[in-house]
Amino acid sequence: MVNLRDEELQRIAQQLGRDPSVVELHAFDAAWSEHCSYKSSRRFLKNLPIGGSRVLLGPGEDAGILHLGTHDGERYAVVVAHESHNHPSQVVPFEGAATGIGGIVRDVLCMGAEVVAVADPLRFGRCDDVASHQSHVARAAVDGIGAYGNAIGVPNIAGDVYFEHGFDENCLVNVVALGIVNEKDVIHSYVPKGAEGWQIVLVGKATDPSGFGGASFSSLTLDARDAELNKGAVQVPDPFFKNVLMRASYRVFALLRERGIAAAFKDLGAGGIVGCSAEMTAHGGYGAQIELSTVNVAVEGMPPEVIAVGETQERMMWAAPPEFVPDLLRIYNEEFGLSEVAYNARAGVIGEVTAERRYVLRYREHVVMDVESEFLTGTINDELPYTEKIYHGASAQELPAVDIEGIFPRVLAHRDVCSREPLYRRYDSVVRGRTVLARGAADAGVLAPVPGSRLGVALAVAGNPRYGRIDPAYAAEQAVLEAMRRVVAVGAHPIGLTDCLNFGNPRKAEQYGEFVAAIEALARAATELDLPFVSGNVSLYNEAASGRAIPPSAIVACIGSIDDIAKVITPGFKAAGSALLWVGSRELVGGGSVLAELLGVKGTLPHIEYDAERAALAIVRDAIARGVMRSCRVVADGGMLTAVARLAFDALLAGRKIGAEIDFGNPLCETGGFVCEVTGDSGMDVTGTLQIGATIDASELVVNGTRFDVERLYETWSRPLAQLYP
Amino acid sequence: MSARIAVPVFPGTNSEDETLRLLRDCGGNAELVHWSQASSLARYDAYVLPGGFAYEDRIRAGAIAAHDRMMDSVIEAAGNGKLVFGVCNGAQILLEAGLVPGTGSIRRPTAAFSRNAPAPHFVCRHVCLKLAIEPARCAITASLPRDAIVPAWAAHAEGRLAATPEHLREIVAGGHLAFVYADSSGAVDEAAIPNGSALGCAGLVNREGNVLAIMPHPERDAWNFNHLDRREGDDVLATSGGAALFRSFVQALMS
Repeated sequence: MVNLRDEELQRIAQQLGRDPSVVELHAFDAAWSEHCSYKSSRRFLKNLPIGGSRVLLGPGEDAGILHLGTHDGERYAVVVAHESHNHPSQVVPFEGAATGIGGIVRDVLCMGAEVVAVADPLRFGRCDDVASHQSHVARAAVDGIGAYGNAIGVPNIAGDVYFEHGFDENCLVNVVALGIVNEKDVIHSYVPKGAEGWQIVLVGKATDPSGFGGASFSSLTLDARDAELNKGAVQVPDPFFKNVLMRASYRVFALLRERGIAAAFKDLGAGGIVGCSAEMTAHGGYGAQIELSTVNVAVEGMPPEVIAVGETQERMMWAAPPEFVPDLLRIYNEEFGLSEVAYNARAGVIGEVTAERRYVLRYREHVVMDVESEFLTGTINDELPYTEKIYHGASAQELPAVDIEGIFPRVLAHRDVCSREPLYRRYDSVVRGRTVLARGAADAGVLAPVPGSRLGVALAVAGNPRYGRIDPAYAAEQAVLEAMRRVVAVGAHPIGLTDCLNFGNPRKAEQYGEFVAAIEALARAATELDLPFVSGNVSLYNEAASGRAIPPSAIVACIGSIDDIAKVITPGFKAAGSALLWVGSRELVGGGSVLAELLGVKGTLPHIEYDAERAALAIVRDAIARGVMRSCRVVADGGMLTAVARLAFDALLAGRKIGAEIDFGNPLCETGGFVCEVTGDSGMDVTGTLQIGATIDASELVVNGTRFDVERLYETWSRPLAQLYP
Repeated sequence: MSARIAVPVFPGTNSEDETLRLLRDCGGNAELVHWSQASSLARYDAYVLPGGFAYEDRIRAGAIAAHDRMMDSVIEAAGNGKLVFGVCNGAQILLEAGLVPGTGSIRRPTAAFSRNAPAPHFVCRHVCLKLAIEPARCAITASLPRDAIVPAWAAHAEGRLAATPEHLREIVAGGHLAFVYADSSGAVDEAAIPNGSALGCAGLVNREGNVLAIMPHPERDAWNFNHLDRREGDDVLATSGGAALFRSFVQALMS
């Protein structure tokens, strides 16, 4: 099944001057799919800010690279990639989600980096009935992510999860991976000048028929009736093999470094061997000749188009000078004995880089594909119509007065607020021994990625679908703000962003309009906050056959740098008698909040004022720099009181019976900001902050005179998700 | 020349780097030995088997690796009284190899680290180990204080000690129960056990006291930066917490 449209087929025939071969048809089908070509998103994505003093590499290769800091005179950078694996995870959740981790890890690995962390923003359907199909998807996807990440030994340090009816038929499995690299040792995804005659080496598992048509499948609307049919398009994960492949590749990196040799390295993702080798050579200004019969295969008799574009997992591609290739092959095939780890796995030469910019594929010496490289990999655009509209007006709706005693426990037990621990306990968050703040310990995960160094990196994700349902643009701006606040709250300096844009069908003007509005909003927020987007991904067609699309979901990750991990803000209240400050907008309205949902009202969305946001970030960073910040938490789902409660929970878990007494208008509003525990005599400039109370020497929260027992609140908050994740 | 410690790396091992780093930070002369260099293993004086999923945990965690030729050297070394210490997957391999509790024959395990219970899932959770033997009963724990509490992370799907009631009695009577799960104050209760392990077992030692197998990872709570109870002003790069057990291991090689 080929999903190219008539006008695209005509364009191909016209350019070639003949009808395309079967292999060419499948190659263009993958290369021109939405998934690979970004044909309906490219013209808007170019509005995102991508530059800055920290940026070593913006979008364009397999991952972005940001300067982290200097240790022992060496400059280190973090490599980051962000993708979705939504469609596969809906159809075959365990394998789909696992291969999501597998793919994103390769994107970071191929930049010459050591992979040090993953994160997983997840959006599932409602799982109130734990025996439902939605619950099966939610459990199996999490198990797939855990099974893969745990086995390769990459800690999962950040992520979030929401459960909404809007995701009942289309779950979202987004994945983020982080790597660390010495800036001298970055390897690019395309061949450099002078690469003519370099050999192209395919390394990894034997190519099999799995994942055939994957790129194209990701660019279609899901129809439950086709679920069985689509399963063949999902790849098969093998984390055991990947573990070995990663370590063997680290050995290759070390040898390249030692010899001062340049090479190109790239992940085989969408479009398989053709997609990878064509981009790798064309983007360097070269062509390629490949002989498909030299590819190691798992079964005999596969047609050449399956070998050419199938998406068998755990494969990567090198282009390297011929004099280095014997060592390359020796490391993978002998030192790490790939064929002993998986059937017929190996590294082998399959072709070479040519000066003529043609992409020529042979199968048993017959030419099965011969096209201009640029034509295959070049830019294509779909100028689709979209609707512009104003999503939410200024119609204010006051929240009714609430009975805090009755409603706060309901907020804490809400599916978007309650503890995520039953879920993330299935993830190894501390393997490799570099984790400073493990998954769920704080607003962001923190690692010490360079052993022996004080450098730290923080990672957080955000994207609230309750906002997305109301206004896709507003949700996108809030996603940037929340991700950034989370990184700031642990004591890091935000240095860059990634995004994954999960939207509906671009061929429906209204759904496409949501997507366009969200990108503009991301660009606005990032520009105002002076942060670059260095990597990202677009996932469209998140629409079920019923025609129902997901809540528009711009999901953002923020990366922060830390000069000295000793300054990281650790979880929980530290001492009684500290001042509790609220840092953020005072506009206490409830639109999009959990409270509004529980009360069944709409509420008004809080305004976004960037001057105020910048001021709030500066206050928090200043308090941390002065060493007066004892603990800090962002205000997000569940509002300010939830943030206060979590500081008390973390204190309780650490054996400190410290609570808080606060006085605050409506403490369940979710207007973004920070709750900060600062030393009583901080001497900080408190302009722009509001003292809402103080910590007390008892495990209690006293809220506008109403008293809560912290341990009981903790029980309420910590249990609900254990139903779904026992 | 100080004693040489090998950290064997099987296909699927994933905790080799932090294990190596901690051994070195504790003064040990340690290096990684990759499976393709199996023949060089015999030359070492002591062995630390790191965590991971050797051979994909096929059949049971550790079952295939126990038959790997690297284990020929380790088994022989253990028989000669050299120190052998396994953590998590390393512990599973030592049990499958019959080295702990060591009451049966080589490669004929008498017990198993089985699927966690009641929920049969991977669990990643901070825990504490409490030394349940006299420190000198095991050479590797000899420098720890009596009733030592060692902080660590449990991170496994198969860590529940399972054996027949008779064999569990034999494990206790023979002094093989080296570590039990406890809370940070040392209290031993059900809530402290992350995996349903029989006897609350977190670690086993052989009769001779030279082979120790523990399920949780002390090397993940071993420097102040990843030690949950660090105090303000502590050097974040200095060893702490779970490093005490590794230091005791290195100490045993020096005496």
